[in-house]
Amino acid sequence: MNVLIIEDEKALAEELEIFLTNYNYICEICFNGTTASQRIGINLYDFILIDLGLPDYDGLDLLKEAKKNNPEAVCIILTARAEVYDRIKGLDLGADDYLPKPFSLLELQSRMQAITRRKFGLKQNLVDLGGFLINLTDRTITYYNTEVNSITKKEFDLIAYLILHKNRTLSRSQLSEHIWGSIINDDYDSNYIDAHIKNIRKKLNVFAPPDWLETVRGLGYKIKISS
Amino acid sequence: MLLPALIKNINQNYTDSKLRKQKDKLLQIIKIQGIKNYSDASYYTPLKEDYISIGVDSSTEALDTIKNEKRLIQGDTIEYRILSHNFNAESKKYLMEIAISVDAITETTRPLQNIAFQVLLGMILLTIMADQFYSTYVLRPLGLIIKTKLIGHKFPNFGSYDKVKTSTSDFEYLDISIYKMIETIESTFQKEREFISNASHELMTPISILQSKIENMFEQEDIADELKTRLLEMQKILNRLKSITKTLLLISQIENEQFLKEDYIPLAELLHEVYDEISIRLQDKNINLEIAIPAEWQLVKVNKFLLFNLFFNLINNAIKYNKEDGEINVVGLYQNDIFSVSINDTGIGIGAAELPFIFNRFKKFRQSLTQDSFGLGLPIVKSIADFHDIKIEVTSEKNVGSSFKLVFPAGLIKIG
Repeated sequence: MNVLIIEDEKALAEELEIFLTNYNYICEICFNGTTASQRIGINLYDFILIDLGLPDYDGLDLLKEAKKNNPEAVCIILTARAEVYDRIKGLDLGADDYLPKPFSLLELQSRMQAITRRKFGLKQNLVDLGGFLINLTDRTITYYNTEVNSITKKEFDLIAYLILHKNRTLSRSQLSEHIWGSIINDDYDSNYIDAHIKNIRKKLNVFAPPDWLETVRGLGYKIKISS
Repeated sequence: MLLPALIKNINQNYTDSKLRKQKDKLLQIIKIQGIKNYSDASYYTPLKEDYISIGVDSSTEALDTIKNEKRLIQGDTIEYRILSHNFNAESKKYLMEIAISVDAITETTRPLQNIAFQVLLGMILLTIMADQFYSTYVLRPLGLIIKTKLIGHKFPNFGSYDKVKTSTSDFEYLDISIYKMIETIESTFQKEREFISNASHELMTPISILQSKIENMFEQEDIADELKTRLLEMQKILNRLKSITKTLLLISQIENEQFLKEDYIPLAELLHEVYDEISIRLQDKNINLEIAIPAEWQLVKVNKFLLFNLFFNLINNAIKYNKEDGEINVVGLYQNDIFSVSINDTGIGIGAAELPFIFNRFKKFRQSLTQDSFGLGLPIVKSIADFHDIKIEVTSEKNVGSSFKLVFPAGLIKIG
C-alpha cells in the first residue's frame, strides 16, 4: 500500500518511513505543503498522513485537496496542536483519524489497520491461538465452542494489540500507552501491565495454558503466531 | 429641643412689641382725651386674660419695663406679662400697666409649635429625599463601576470593556484605572497560558521524534537485549517528560476554555467507567471501592473527558495514598438543593500545614509509597473543577484519611 507522509520535521518523517516500510508499506515523503499539494494532484495513495503544523501550508487545505483528488485515500491527521481537535471534529472535513503528537508508531499502525478493515469491509477477523479462537471483530474469545467470558475489556484490548503486532516484543510502556494513553495522569511510571497479563493467564489457564503469550525477560510481552 | 424655646422666645418678643404698641396707643388716647377719664382705673375682661390699669404713681424714678409678675385679681393669682410705664400728665405722675396673662401667651405658643414642628419634619423628610435622589444620581456611575467591574462575575472580569457613562472625571478615571488593571492581569494570564501552551507544543515534536526513534530501534532485530533494556529506560524517562508536557498542555487548554461542555451522562455510569480503568490498581493494593451514587443523577452539559479525568485522578490519589486493604467511599449527597460527591479514603492523610497548597503545581508533599508522580494530579483536578464551576472542599486527618468533597453548581446535575 502507498503512503504519502507529509511532515516538515525531517527526523520524524524518516522514522515514520523506516517504521512503515518495515510493515511493508511503500512510502513517499514531503517536507512541505507545496510539494505535497503537487503530489496529491498527480498520484493516488492509499494513505495520506498529514501534519497540520506545516510552515508553508494549512494542513486542512491539504486535507481538502486530498479528499477532492483522491477520495479513496485514508487521511490521518498528525498534529502537535491538540486544541485543533475539536475544530477538525466540528468541521468534519473527512479525516479518517486523528493522532496527537507525540504518538506511538505502533498506535499509528494499528489505526491504519483498523481503518483498512473498516474501509474494505473485511470479514470476521479470527485468530487461532492454541485452541483459543480470538474474534477481533466481535471481541470474543472461545475455547472449543466455550466462551471465555471472564476476560475484561482492558484485558481483551491488550490481547488484541499484541495480536496486531504479532511476533514483536511490545514494551510495558508501549502497552500501557495503548490502553491508558488517553488518561491524563499524574504518575509517569505507573505500570499495571504485569498485573493485567497475570490475570489474563490465570483466566485462560482454566481452559488451557496460553503458551503463546510470552514474557520476554526484561523487555515486555509478545504473542507468537507462526504463519 | 431648641424649637420650643425658640418659639417661646419669638412669641414673647411678639407679645412685648404688642404691649409696647398698646402702650403707645394708650398714651395717645390719654393725651387727646385727658387723664381724667382714666385715672385710677383698671380694665379687664371677665376671663382675666389681659388687663390695663392706670393709677397715680408715688415713685420718683422713671419706669419702663416688661417682665413676668403675679397679680391678684378678684381672688385669683395669675401670672402676667406686664408692661409698666410711668408718665406725667397734668402735673401728676401716673403708672400704667398693660398685661397679658402668661397662660394666654402659652396657649398661642402651642399650636404654633405644632405647626412649626410639622413643617420642620416635612422639611427634613424633603431634604433626605432630595439628598437620596441626588446622591444616587451623582453616585450612579460609582455603583455601576462596582457592580459591573468588581462584583457580579468573579474578579477580574475579563472580556470587552464597557465604559461606564459618567460626566465626573474622578469616576471616569476610576473606571479606566480598574479596566487597565484588569487588562494587565488578563494579559499576564494570557502570556502565562500562551507560554505554557507554546512550550508544550514545541516540546511535543522533539518528544515525538525521540519516541519514534526509540520505538524503531527497539524493533530492530540486530540489537542486543541489554541495549534494548537501556532503550526501555530511555523510553520511561521520555514517558515522564511526555506526561508532564501533556498535563501542562491540558491545564493550559482547560484554562483557555478550549473544551466544549456538551456531554450528558449519568454520573454513576461515568464513575463505572473510571472504575473499569482503575480496578487493576485497586486490586494491586487490595483496596475496596464503594460507589454510592443514585442511578438517576445525570450530568448536564459537561465535558465527559475532563470529568472522567477529574474522578480518575481523585480516586487514583485515594488509591496511591491509601494503605494496603484500605477503603475508598464515593458518596453522593443531595441537601438543600445542592448536589455533592465526596471521595473519602482511609489513607495517610494530609497535614494541616500542607492542606492550603495541595492544588499548587509541582508541589509534592505526600510521598506516595510505591509510585513516582510529579505533583500535577491535583492541579488538573482543580482546573477541571474550576472549568465546570465545581467547588472542592478538602478535609483530612493525618494517618486517618482524606475527604475530597465536590460541590456541584446548580444545573450541572439533574435528576432524571
